Amino acid sequence: MDLSVILSGQLLASVLVLASLYALVAIGLNLVYGTMRLLNVAHGELVMLGGYVAYWGFAQWGISPLISALFAMAVAAAAGALIYIAVIRRLFRSRFQARVEANSLLVFFGISIIVQNVTALAFTANNRGYSYLDDVIAIGDARIAANRLAALAVASVACFACALFFRFARSGMAMRAIIQHREAAALVGIDVDRINLQVFALGFALAALAGALISMTQTISPFMGFPFTVSGFVIIILGGLGNLPGSIFGATILAAVEVYGVTLISPSFRSILVYGVFIAALVLRPQGLLGRPIKAR
Amino acid sequence: MKIALAFAATLLATTITAASAQEPVKIGYAISKTGPFAPAARTQLQTYELWADQVAAAGGIDVGGTKRPVKFISYDDQSDFSKAPAIYEKLITDDKVDLLLAPWGTPFHFSVVGILEKYQFPMVGNSAASVTIRDIKPGNIWFPTSAIPDRLAAELVKFLQAQKANTVAISTLQLPFSLEVKKFLMPALESSGLKVVVNDEYAPDVKDLTATLTKIKQAAPDAVLMLCYPPDGVLYLKGARELGIVSPFQLLLVGPADPFFEKTFGPNLDGIVTMGHWSPFQAKWPKARPFYDAYVKKFNEPPDYLDSALAWMSIEILEQAVKTAGLDKAKIRQAISTETFDTINGPVKFKGVENVITPTMFLQFQKGQAQIVWPASEATAAFEPKPAWTK
Repeated sequence: MDLSVILSGQLLASVLVLASLYALVAIGLNLVYGTMRLLNVAHGELVMLGGYVAYWGFAQWGISPLISALFAMAVAAAAGALIYIAVIRRLFRSRFQARVEANSLLVFFGISIIVQNVTALAFTANNRGYSYLDDVIAIGDARIAANRLAALAVASVACFACALFFRFARSGMAMRAIIQHREAAALVGIDVDRINLQVFALGFALAALAGALISMTQTISPFMGFPFTVSGFVIIILGGLGNLPGSIFGATILAAVEVYGVTLISPSFRSILVYGVFIAALVLRPQGLLGRPIKAR
Repeated sequence: MKIALAFAATLLATTITAASAQEPVKIGYAISKTGPFAPAARTQLQTYELWADQVAAAGGIDVGGTKRPVKFISYDDQSDFSKAPAIYEKLITDDKVDLLLAPWGTPFHFSVVGILEKYQFPMVGNSAASVTIRDIKPGNIWFPTSAIPDRLAAELVKFLQAQKANTVAISTLQLPFSLEVKKFLMPALESSGLKVVVNDEYAPDVKDLTATLTKIKQAAPDAVLMLCYPPDGVLYLKGARELGIVSPFQLLLVGPADPFFEKTFGPNLDGIVTMGHWSPFQAKWPKARPFYDAYVKKFNEPPDYLDSALAWMSIEILEQAVKTAGLDKAKIRQAISTETFDTINGPVKFKGVENVITPTMFLQFQKGQAQIVWPASEATAAFEPKPAWTK
């Protein structure tokens, strides 16, 4: 293996693009899990739907995917809020709450399959892609398509904004408080229901944004979402369940493992590397790479 | 007179009822309508749909001289090739179909071979090719493709030599078909003195090929051979353009024949070579162009030069066999094994599972259209070195 391949800016650029997109997916997934203990396996389908909004916007009306991304976010946020109000809130207030939490994996898995196949029926299972901002830009020794650069920029800004939001905004802090301890948060006067609603809207919006950005850089199909859900899970295990900055960190680690790992060993080892890291994290640091172990008090 | 008229009318009515009450011929298949292979299987499914339209318009299928209507029974195998055998068994034993059409892709063909043998039910395969299946010598499946991996490998090396290529980079997707091609390609390259400068493999869930592409870019080979399927083919084209891989010969094994590639990449697809043995521009196949036109008319996009063509050929072969043999399984098997069929890809004749007439060919995209560029005897255009990527 030539050292210059590993040191080339090309790989670094790939890592950054992949990491920023992964982070967007993982933050949304982690928020919903952290606050409500709901394992949303259908999260990748939101990514897919975001991709379709951007695709149709561009293919039908020539709207820049960066603009339709905003639209996709708004629609996804509204859908998230609606689902929360219509379904989740009711379930949480019913006697089924414990069962919903325990079975969220199965429920969302079912929803995921339904969404995939309804999309396939509505839009055909066709692969779709479009060319937007595809001039190749040279930065140092790396050459990168402008659309990937744009995706990187937008995703990074969004992640940074999320980090600021969780750190300084009242709602952001309330979300972290609920993640830490739901009952205690409620006791100190946090309106858990209202925050849950915001979490659903925000989580869905971030996934749709990721999807719109991904559609600029690769092709989309009704079945593109699940691999992103899987990556999202690996990331939140790496970064820590409910640990939001940890998601950004985990996304960077996963992207680096995928890109540098396969360069050093072989592309055929991608899955082994990804799941190897996943299992290693579960065994060695189940609280996440950044998390502190929970001690019995 | 009145009685005679009434009699004639009754007679006429009975004949009409008899004709319309003809039992329909039941034709069954399973294909990936959902799941990860659904995007790739779509062009084959559309070809079946086009035929369903045409056969309905023609008033049915000719069964040993009588026209009979057709009823289709189809299932979704959910992109799971372990489900296909059970579905085909159900089609045969429960739905009691008269004829079978093939599922999509080599692994699915592979998985139903045992069922076809068990029930001695003949089925013309299409979007599949495998030396392994050929070697087990099944008696109820045939492959109209001329891209069987060992022949494909040998022909590809000849093609490369004709282009005076000395160095080759190979990257292979870990799925049965591409791995089988690689298995035959590596020794063929070695024995012909071509130097392999990059050689790696990747898993089907790959999302980023930068590492491989950076290696290829550094090695600057005369030829890049991506033994890929459509999704990773997309990653290659995006990445190769980004990195500026300028090798004059760039092959994507499976993918570019799907019209979606032309739609997505436009002029950047030009110069890309892919496996395939059919083009609507070959004048010596008079049925090629009408099929192309009918497909474009119905679906508003060109057919897949590989899978749609193969699917249509498999139907043509079955139709012609049923025309002479009726619906008797043994007679159909006999007909398919011995007759010569007239298809959109020219004449086809089988020896064992293999089409022995159609030579192995390669397509190249030129001005957005798939032209046959190899071998010279079949070519519709001359090979052109890959032009520069746009911008």
